[in-house]
Amino acid sequence: MRLLNSRIIRFIVGIWLPILLIWWWWTWSADSVDPFFPPLSAIWEQFKFNWIWQYVPIHVVPSLRNLFAGYFIGIFAGVTLGALLGASPRVSRYFEPVIDFLRSIPPVATVPVFILFFGLDAQMRIAAVAVAACFPTLLSTMQGFRATDPTLLDTGKVFRLTPFQMMWKVRVPNASPIIWSGLQVSLQIAFVVTIASEILGSGFGIGAFTTISIDSFMILDAWTGVVLLGLLGFALNIIFDLVERWSLRWYIGQKKLAS
Amino acid sequence: MATAISVNGVSMEYKTPKGTTHVLDNVSYEVQDGHFVSIVGPSGVGKTTLLRLLTGLARPTAGEILVRGKKISSSPDDLAVVLQDYTRSLMPWLNVEKNIALPLKNQNLSKAERKERIKASLAEVGLEGAESKYPWQLSGGMQQRVSIARALAVRPSILVMDEPFASVDAQTRFDLEDLVLKVRDDFGITTLMVTHDIDEAVYLSDEIVVLHGKPAKVRDVVKVDIPFPRSQMETRNDQRFAELRTQVYGMVRGLE
Amino acid sequence: MSGKPLRIPAGLVSAVVALLIWQIATTWGPLAGSSVPTATSTLAELWNMLFMSETWDSIWQTIQMALYGFLIAVAIAIPVGILIGLSRFAFISTKFTFDFFKVIPPIVIIPITILVFGPTLQMGVFLVVFAIVFALAIQTAYGVRDADPVLIETMRCYGMGKTKQVLYARLPAASPYIAIGIRISVSAAMIVAVVAGLVGGAPGLGHDLLLTETNGQNSATFAIVLILGILGLAVSRLVVFLQRRFIFWTAS
Ligand SMILES: Nc1ncnc2c1ncn2[C@@H]1O[C@H](COP(=O)(O)OP(=O)(O)OP(=O)(O)O)[C@@H](O)[C@H]1O
Ligand SMILES: [Mg+2]
Repeated sequence: MRLLNSRIIRFIVGIWLPILLIWWWWTWSADSVDPFFPPLSAIWEQFKFNWIWQYVPIHVVPSLRNLFAGYFIGIFAGVTLGALLGASPRVSRYFEPVIDFLRSIPPVATVPVFILFFGLDAQMRIAAVAVAACFPTLLSTMQGFRATDPTLLDTGKVFRLTPFQMMWKVRVPNASPIIWSGLQVSLQIAFVVTIASEILGSGFGIGAFTTISIDSFMILDAWTGVVLLGLLGFALNIIFDLVERWSLRWYIGQKKLAS
Repeated sequence: MATAISVNGVSMEYKTPKGTTHVLDNVSYEVQDGHFVSIVGPSGVGKTTLLRLLTGLARPTAGEILVRGKKISSSPDDLAVVLQDYTRSLMPWLNVEKNIALPLKNQNLSKAERKERIKASLAEVGLEGAESKYPWQLSGGMQQRVSIARALAVRPSILVMDEPFASVDAQTRFDLEDLVLKVRDDFGITTLMVTHDIDEAVYLSDEIVVLHGKPAKVRDVVKVDIPFPRSQMETRNDQRFAELRTQVYGMVRGLE
Repeated sequence: MSGKPLRIPAGLVSAVVALLIWQIATTWGPLAGSSVPTATSTLAELWNMLFMSETWDSIWQTIQMALYGFLIAVAIAIPVGILIGLSRFAFISTKFTFDFFKVIPPIVIIPITILVFGPTLQMGVFLVVFAIVFALAIQTAYGVRDADPVLIETMRCYGMGKTKQVLYARLPAASPYIAIGIRISVSAAMIVAVVAGLVGGAPGLGHDLLLTETNGQNSATFAIVLILGILGLAVSRLVVFLQRRFIFWTAS
């Protein structure tokens, strides 16, 4: 078991199961005649044909653009509102029940509502993603701001920090571990709502491509869409983890030392 | 000699849902320029409360506090503070250098001057080269020295400390005490310190203010007539030292 | 504690203000004459729907998908999580794979489930299981691994076997993790049950939402969204209540 302390060994141990699964899928589906489960090799060929790079400009680019535009608008609003509400508990008491209710609505369920507001275009998608992405960040920012250590605030006051410094050098970093966890949930929700808005709004985007393929019985194409979305979702999470870990290195170091 | 701080008839009440706690009652006292003054008293008597009033973190319900003749409304310039809970008063997301730099940002200093200040004050507390360390990578005593360095770096004329050495080991404590005395000599800083430790108060101070009662009043002011420079080995074995600490001890316990 | 009696009025005030803003915006404001219904027409529709058996059928179908999916996921994830957590080799072996599936949102595989199940209740149940089983298993495994090593060592010294170690050290250590995992899973199950209907065509409130939207029954669409909000709120409150009630040893 000592062996498992080495990074390389750990990597190898971590990777055997995925390799086995892919290999199993490959051989099991190799001479499949089931129209719904085509051979993995065929999916792979079609994947290369579709996504390197033929459909990237018309489907991947709009998907990512809507995702990121909506996400960043949403988290900007979430952090700002959360900071305001978190710093003033008296005001937030009035907003909390409404916020509590709104966040209990499944994010995807708001897509039809946004279709009513904006119609089926990109604006609707970005707005839906932004609103859905706003809530987790809003709530975690509120929570993080409320938990500001009074000693740190006192320290800021006695050293006569400006309100700007209080905000960006004391309150925000202090709340940042909690804010980051909200940002991650926001990203996951933004991803889901992006796909949902494409499926329900139809037209362009990877989600739309996949549903249209299903509707027109292009099963192979649908599979490549599913695989691409799966890989994208995973990649987004990995990138997010890296950025988070870099920016919270003080926090991680501190926690490691404490344990 | 000029007066650095004057506390005039200050009373303080905390309003809580359960009622009001009357903590300080008509406290008056003057701190002379360049003096080292300790505030002692039983736990919960209101020492921290008094410091919070002095540093503008809270306002008295009656009376006023003047710093260099000016009534304070918020935290006065020219005054630096070392809070009781040092583990939570350094920003864990900033390294030592940035922690010290934070209050300096609002003084008109060039980048180079700022760097110089930080270096000098770290050297003052014996932490040369710790700039890039994070607070949690340092021991308790080192963290406390960083927060002293941060206070010194703003070049205050008044230094206020709330039980600054309460949770460090005995050896570090002696070192820090001597450090504080040295800093006072080097810069002529007026120093006000709250402590639980009567030996420490006698060792460091020109004057000791004893708070007692509920609500607390200034029970006595003891002048420490042991000449400077003092040293841990000799001063603490001094006849006069023993007398003074017995006297103060009695006052704190309310015996005399 | 003095904040307590103020709480309900604050909630009421803000709810009423929110409804007023909505009403004003849709009658005289920027949304007047748009396809967005007024607050009053939405509430009226909501009131009507409360007396229609179809509404309750849909609610029940949605709850069923969430509930069955949740129960199946718990039945799989907790034993698997405990087994994985007991062996470091198993933990590292499965971590990457589980993490991969954990972060893939179920909406991604909806096209495939439509092929396999069609727009049925089973599809919804499957999606719910897929959505929560991996995260819950990982969470359980983390909890099992979080047991105090000193306690385990002590038990070993006293000659207690593996079973006792699991029962008295590992499971108690894991239970707060599992409690949190379950709380998250329940909310996720409800959300996915709605998504399955809205995007995948499975029966229930999600599907109704899609139908009313495409039929242009805008007040009904908004009313269903309100129902979903109330349902979500009720479910999360219920879980918190049950956990407080029965698992008193998990603080927070
Ligand atoms: N924010 C507050 N609200 C209400 N009461 C308070 C507050 N802060 C302090 N008190 C009360 O005021 C009294 C004095 O507290 P203070 O912290 O000033 O004592 P202290 O002398 O510094 O004690 P210690 O030596 O233990 O640090 C205590 O009875 C305390 O309970
Ligand atoms: Mg105190």
